[in-house]
Amino acid sequence: MPDLKDVPIFKHLDADERAEFEELLEPASFEAGQMLFEEGAPEERLYVLTSGTADVYKTILPGRRQHLATIQAPTVVGEMGLLTEPRAAASVEATTRVEAHGVGRDRLLEMLDDDSPAACKLVYEIGRTLAERMAHTNATVAEVVARLENSRGSEDIDVFRDQLVQDWGF
Amino acid sequence: MEDGLQGVRFFEFLTEEEREEFAEAAEPVSFGPGEDIIQEGAEQGSLFVLASGSVEVWKNLSGGGSRLLAEIDASRGRTVVGERGLLGASGASATVKAVDRVEAVKIPRETFARMVEEGRPAAFKLSYRIARTLARRLTRLDEEVVEAIRELESRGETDVEAFRDRLITDWSV
Repeated sequence: MPDLKDVPIFKHLDADERAEFEELLEPASFEAGQMLFEEGAPEERLYVLTSGTADVYKTILPGRRQHLATIQAPTVVGEMGLLTEPRAAASVEATTRVEAHGVGRDRLLEMLDDDSPAACKLVYEIGRTLAERMAHTNATVAEVVARLENSRGSEDIDVFRDQLVQDWGF
Repeated sequence: MEDGLQGVRFFEFLTEEEREEFAEAAEPVSFGPGEDIIQEGAEQGSLFVLASGSVEVWKNLSGGGSRLLAEIDASRGRTVVGERGLLGASGASATVKAVDRVEAVKIPRETFARMVEEGRPAAFKLSYRIARTLARRLTRLDEEVVEAIRELESRGETDVEAFRDRLITDWSV
């Protein structure tokens, strides 16, 4: 069983709440090159990664896979699917062997419906990370808007597009 | 005060008991025309549920000047401002200004933090709701940007101004 204490979004749960999740989690492991999520395909599990590294890719332009991020255990993936549609916005591919534990999205949503304190706290922590992500996104949007307003159409469209890909980060 | 909350549609997702918890926590506030409700750059703040009146959301742009991001009329649609600031650790990303007289309910950050500390379900339900709103907005923005990049690449008709407008509507202060 993973030690959820080491995973940032579980840090604020008490021992009983962590134990509730530990009971639900099912072990899953991925070899290097295997996909945890495939862009556009279902995202119906939340994975807690306990060891290993994975890369996040998105096909922004047809035929071209853009590397967005490298994630490293201990962390969580699949949290956006929990809160929005269960469809992966990006692909997550194991770069090394990844040891993980998964819990079904439906099970988590049921727990939230039942006001499970453990699930509520988990979503509260996810919400805090999203609020910070939104702060970052806001700053990026402001930059992009300022660039658009200052250029007044004179900017090279290729430069603008490449900068946008780079700045956005997804 | 309890009546005040029941009149606000935003709180409909709570049970009556939970609404009472928030009624104790919430403060009725009002603002005159031109008054700032939230100030850009100020420390992480409180959530405001607008009961009546209308507000403007303004953002300072680098290189000077500011830009109107949104106009929110409490009688139509969205009525919450400051939800990102309530959960987040960084300061307000824009200024929210009263256009006319605004009546609102404030959920102070400190009170909310205490409710979370005490494990009150009402506070977690609100967090869940905010988290879902933020997740949906983040997803939508990503999709807008992907679409714009694809249009720019294919040299199609890219309406840059429309793209810009889509990016800034629905801003999470």
